[in-house]
Order: sequence, then C-alpha cells, then structure tokens
Amino acid sequence: MSKLLIVIPAYNEEANIVRVVEDLVERFPQYDYVVVNDGSRDKTAAVCREHGFHLIDLPVNLGLAGAFQTGLRYAAENGYDCAMQLDADGQHKPEYISAMLAELKDGADIVIGSRFLTVKKPKSLRMLGSYIISWSIRLTTGRAICDPTSGMRMFNRAMMEEFAQNLNYGPEPDTISYLIKNGAVVREVQVTMGERIAGQSYLTLWRSAEYMVKMSISILLIQWFRKRDTETPYPERSL
Amino acid sequence: MLDQPIIRICLIVGSLLTAFYILRRVRLAKVQIEDTLFWLFFSAVLLILALFPGIAYRAAYLMGFQSPINFVYIVIIFLLLAKQFFMSIRISQLDSKVRILTERVALNEEKVEREKLDL
Repeated sequence: MSKLLIVIPAYNEEANIVRVVEDLVERFPQYDYVVVNDGSRDKTAAVCREHGFHLIDLPVNLGLAGAFQTGLRYAAENGYDCAMQLDADGQHKPEYISAMLAELKDGADIVIGSRFLTVKKPKSLRMLGSYIISWSIRLTTGRAICDPTSGMRMFNRAMMEEFAQNLNYGPEPDTISYLIKNGAVVREVQVTMGERIAGQSYLTLWRSAEYMVKMSISILLIQWFRKRDTETPYPERSL
Repeated sequence: MLDQPIIRICLIVGSLLTAFYILRRVRLAKVQIEDTLFWLFFSAVLLILALFPGIAYRAAYLMGFQSPINFVYIVIIFLLLAKQFFMSIRISQLDSKVRILTERVALNEEKVEREKLDL
C-alpha cells in the first residue's frame, strides 16, 4: 500500500481541530497526518500540543498556499508516496480517502474529491463562482472539472514534489488548469461534504467575488504564459 | 495634446511593454500571479485610453479639465498612488513577519545552545 500523508492546514480552528483529528485517528489509524498551524491567532497550536497531535507550527501566517506547501515539503522530505489536503473545519470526510487512493493507483496524478460528479451542481449564487471557474477550465483545457474549488485534493509523488518546490503552485483551480494543459491526469471522485460545524468561514461574499475574479483572470489569461520547469529532479535541488 | 498621435503611440508602447515584461516574469516563475494582476489591469487601462481617446475627451469635458491629456495623467497618478498605498501596507506586514521570524530563529538557537550546555 502506498504511504499517504494527510495535510490538515489550520487557521484559527481551535473549535474544530480536535474533533476532526480525533475522528481521523480513531477511524482511520492507517493514514499518517500532519496539522499545519498557519500562524493562528487563537489557541489552535496549544490545543494540538495538548492532545499530542502531529503538528507543524508556522511562526507567521502564510495563507493556505504556504501552509499546504509546508505539508507537501514535509511529505516529500519524509518519503511519502502521495499527499492530500483535508480541511480542518470538518467539511472533508476521511471515508472517501480510500476511493481517491484507488484512482491515484489507477494512474491519476491528481484526484479531486468532487461534490458534483454525479450530483447536479445547484444553480445558486454561491455556486456561480464554481460554474465560472469550471467553464474557464473547460474553455482553456477542453477538460470538464465538475468541482474545481473543492479543497479535497490528492497528489501523487511527482505532483507533490512539483508543488513542494515551485512558485505559483497554490492548491487552487488555476494550478489545476495549468497542470491539465501540461498533460497531468486529473480525475474526480464523488464525495459528500459536511457543513462547517463551528467558527467563522474565511469566505465572505466579497472575498468569494475577489477569489473568483482572480481565478478567472489567472486561468483565462495568465496560465498560457507559464513555462513548466521539470528539468531538475527534486532530490538534486536543495530544499 | 491627446489629438497628436505621438502621445497615443507612447501610451500604446508603454502599455504593451508593461504587459510583455510582467508576463515574461510569469513565464520565468519570478513573480507570483496575484502580483501581476495590477500591472495587467494598469496596462489594459493605458491601452484603452490610447485606443479610444473619446473616453478622455468626454471625461475631461465632464470634469472641466482644460485638456483631455490631463484626464489620462489623473488616471495614471491615481492608479500609481493606490498601488503605492497597498504596497506600503504590504511592506509593513512583511517587516513584522521578518521580525517575528528572526526572533523565532534566535529563540530556537538559544534553546539548542542551552540544551547543549545542560548535557
């Protein structure tokens, strides 16, 4: 069985982190995990230490991309075969991990835990951004990604290494579109997601709109100009 | 002044050079994509003002400017000031991050040295 690392980026999640990690450890002890505390202003780090969770504590706030990259670098340096993101708010359910692992073993480079693969995407304002990003990816790559904004993504070793060491490899739909264009195999697995139990969501209406505009411009205009650098293999670079 | 082609050509060349340079930085992975958005927007604004001088004429008339070129200057000054403002905030945040990181490194170092002495 391939060795998987579950990266749990946490920013101000003191209300959720214990429940999420304890659930994971109790029901799925076969998976390794690491909580990456992204310079939280609340007691997330203290709570993790108190419960003896495996923790990487960033001294300053880097944002999701930086926190997740830290997790991937840890995975790359410690010989993991694949890594995935699991949100600390309890929206991502670990019961779908085995199905995602199976797809990865089947030859996918990236597997997305998708809410809308077999389920119809609701036509709501909240999903407008998701529609626009899906459409942008479709237009620029010719591939249908039903749930591009899902944070539940699994990466194989090659992708993990590429994400771990490069600039502009945030765990976001524009990176996915770029990688599809460069020949990466991206597959989706139908999952259901829970609602956030406690605490505040980062995504306000304004932030969602900003995110959507940024992603659309990035996917439609900027990704064309990027050049992929895979010339230097990972172990030969110094991290 | 905007009726003279030379200034419009300058605007177009400036706009294209900005876009070309920033996209080259993207290609070489020397800049984060978030940071390119402003410059692409800036170059689009310059290009639009140069290609459709009617906008500047109309705006200058409405705002009571003597010459349409003044409207172009105002737009450029405003965009650059706004950018300056946000950069100022960002530098301040970076400053505090560097300070915290330096403190963290020094504190960790001290801990390692203390443990060595204890042993």
